[in-house]
Amino acid sequence: MGSYADDSKWADIVPIPQDDGGPNALATIAYPDAYSEATSYLRAIMAKNEFSDRVLELTADIIDMNPAHYTVWLYRAKTLLQLNKDLREELDWVNPIALAHQKNYQIWHHRQLLTDKRNAYDGEREFIGEMLDEDSKNYHVWSYRQWLVRRFDLWDDKEIPFVEEMLKRDIRNNSAWNHRWFTVFGRYRPLTDIKHTEQSKQAASFAPLSQTGRTIESYPDSLIDREVAFAQEAIKLAPQNQSPWNYLSGVLREAGRPLATVKPFVEQFANLDEPEKVRSSHALDFLASIYAGEQPTSGPSSADESQKDVKKACQALDLLAEKYDPIRRFYWGWRKDIITKEARATGTA
Amino acid sequence: MDRDENKIEELSDTSAETIDASDEEDERLFGHQQHPTGADSPLVPPLFTSLPPIQDSLETETSQLQNRTIQECLPLLAAAERAAGGAIFDFNPYGLPRLDRERHVAFLQGSLGRLPSGFVAADASRPWMVYWALTCLYLLGQDLAQYREEVIATLTPMQNPDGGFGGGHGHYSHVAPSYAAVLSLVMVGGDEALNLIDRKAMWRWLGDLKQRDGGFQVCVGGEEDVRGAYCSMVIASLLNLPLELPSTSSAKQNDSDTLITGLREYLARCQTFEGGIADSPDNEAHGAFAFCALACLCLMDDPQKIINETLDVPRLISWLSSRQHAPEGGFAGRTNKLVDGCYSHWAGGCWPLIQAALDGPMPFDGPVAPTVGTIYSREGLTRYILCCCQGKRGGLRDKPSKHVDAYHSCYALVALSSTQHSYFYMGTAPDKPITPLTAAFHWASSPRVLDSNGEIQEPICDEEDRVKLIHPIFVIPWGVPETTRAWYEAKSGL
Repeated sequence: MGSYADDSKWADIVPIPQDDGGPNALATIAYPDAYSEATSYLRAIMAKNEFSDRVLELTADIIDMNPAHYTVWLYRAKTLLQLNKDLREELDWVNPIALAHQKNYQIWHHRQLLTDKRNAYDGEREFIGEMLDEDSKNYHVWSYRQWLVRRFDLWDDKEIPFVEEMLKRDIRNNSAWNHRWFTVFGRYRPLTDIKHTEQSKQAASFAPLSQTGRTIESYPDSLIDREVAFAQEAIKLAPQNQSPWNYLSGVLREAGRPLATVKPFVEQFANLDEPEKVRSSHALDFLASIYAGEQPTSGPSSADESQKDVKKACQALDLLAEKYDPIRRFYWGWRKDIITKEARATGTA
Repeated sequence: MDRDENKIEELSDTSAETIDASDEEDERLFGHQQHPTGADSPLVPPLFTSLPPIQDSLETETSQLQNRTIQECLPLLAAAERAAGGAIFDFNPYGLPRLDRERHVAFLQGSLGRLPSGFVAADASRPWMVYWALTCLYLLGQDLAQYREEVIATLTPMQNPDGGFGGGHGHYSHVAPSYAAVLSLVMVGGDEALNLIDRKAMWRWLGDLKQRDGGFQVCVGGEEDVRGAYCSMVIASLLNLPLELPSTSSAKQNDSDTLITGLREYLARCQTFEGGIADSPDNEAHGAFAFCALACLCLMDDPQKIINETLDVPRLISWLSSRQHAPEGGFAGRTNKLVDGCYSHWAGGCWPLIQAALDGPMPFDGPVAPTVGTIYSREGLTRYILCCCQGKRGGLRDKPSKHVDAYHSCYALVALSSTQHSYFYMGTAPDKPITPLTAAFHWASSPRVLDSNGEIQEPICDEEDRVKLIHPIFVIPWGVPETTRAWYEAKSGL
């Protein structure tokens, strides 16, 4: 990129040099000359609120040198919208930059702004796939996909197979597990319902706010069965993988099913009769919850008390503290305290 | 410390010639020295020197990266075990390397100087560079008032007429650099620094960021997430801004709407099925956002009341507790991700807030008596920070294979301070209920010392490796939030 000062196209602009705070300023950067000059022209352009084709060239130039410059992205988006530019073309321009700068998040907000404006999502899921090939847990990319699904009501048959493909590559990819949750349950938790605030104020009297705001009384059994089975299959592949355990526990709690409904399954991986043969600390944790008679945190049904056994719950927690997960020993001890205090209070100990 | 070379990394190097001839010399001179725990019992508990008890055979990208991380941490965690002769003096009686204070100070002072052109990527984060370095320098015992004029000079051109600060001169106002700028100014303190902030404009600008769903955008037209909420509430609370929404705010639907209307509900929607908290509803639970959400709640009210009413606390604690890894000892940000020095604070820093939610307010006129106490491993976190995060030439890092930087230095040292102290929410006198956005001014703290039996429950640093006390919600020097708020309260009008 040549110098702006030598370019007749920019002759009318008086650049505004950077004021980085004078000779005593802290954390000043020895900018390359090209960057200093380009950002001086940006300040001048922004000061006069110019939106033009040359602004697109200038912002592209700066983005090329520093894609973490959030202001330049926002100004570029404004310019594109002012000039009624072809936004699909812009997205195609952005793609290689996103691929080259995996950790950059400004790009994803830019993308979201433009896609929202375009009111179309063609090509977007494909590009997300390409990004995740490079970094399968990229937080911004997954967030963008979640936004996309909600924005365009894409609760269709493409998301579940996509998640399953991602999990086939790496069954421990927790971002993919989170996306599965979102795909299955997200549609029952709308975000745009402003009245939700009022409802939840009342709900807060018996459950924490985060457990409220659902639009469905109870989920179809087949849906919950399918999700439970999916998590269980994943656990069999690698029992010490925490993601499907969290998922399994989440599904049961969301559906209001007692954790004890999966006790025989859990005991395949942790059985108190064979404390030497525990194959998963997460199974042991799960077992402790079952024996503690933990209530599902939401949903209509109540806890299954039939499996409650305080002594066994403590035994599982002791095993975790002493042998299978001792870095968390104070946590396991705290759980044990709660259970024993509760038991003493209710006289079930 | 005047050591010529830091042996931490050489000792960890599995390759070879780690102990040079001078160590043999030392051994002869100090051969009588024995470690207090005796020769037979290990200095470092096996938890931190051996592989996890259960590992699945199925290999995936996640397990490969996790194993690689364990392998790069283990030699550093166990370094004291293999330290021979005089090198033993590089470690304390618990097998922890010393805090390399002088080199860290030098590194952070350097990060406030002229930065090479490669730092162009940090051009939109200069207030952060200032905040991270100042926070570290305070923790390491430096006087921050000496930076007062420089901080004012640096941040003045970044303040915009709309009230917020940009990441640099001419950048749009954004809550993240505004948070860093405001905190840096109040840390150096003084009338000129505190007067620099245009509070009336800042208040109007926060009103522009407020959204109808209760949350905050990070900049006008930017993304909405819990960072936006936390940073905005820190600013409003410290600067004693009016609670009411300015009439110019598009989020204002009723006269009674305030900066915190719907905020609790918004944060509640960010809790995920795992129990952790995401940057916004639907997304994956993440340590950084858990801290932002919890700290934001603690700015609003009594932690016990507001956290329990807003979040499913047992699930939150279950998720948070799982983020601490062994043998590494440090925290990861998400399920099945890797430990990273910065999550020592983002995830680790949730603990004092959660503990306050469990303990409840301490008796206003009685002795401090927490009912629950610590439920994470302070020992593990201390080991990760001191063994794995310290760079050879000063500065702290994500993990041993990464370079040091000011960001990781800041959050690793903040977390080190947190491991060395206990924090309590004190509440207020019964006749003086908490007013909105003043709850965070009612905390107390104490250094962790030997317990009443003279025994240490968990190994802690030597006295010389203590760092200063930091506020668990504002993340600035202890005492500064209160004096800042009082200064603005004493000032009439906006």
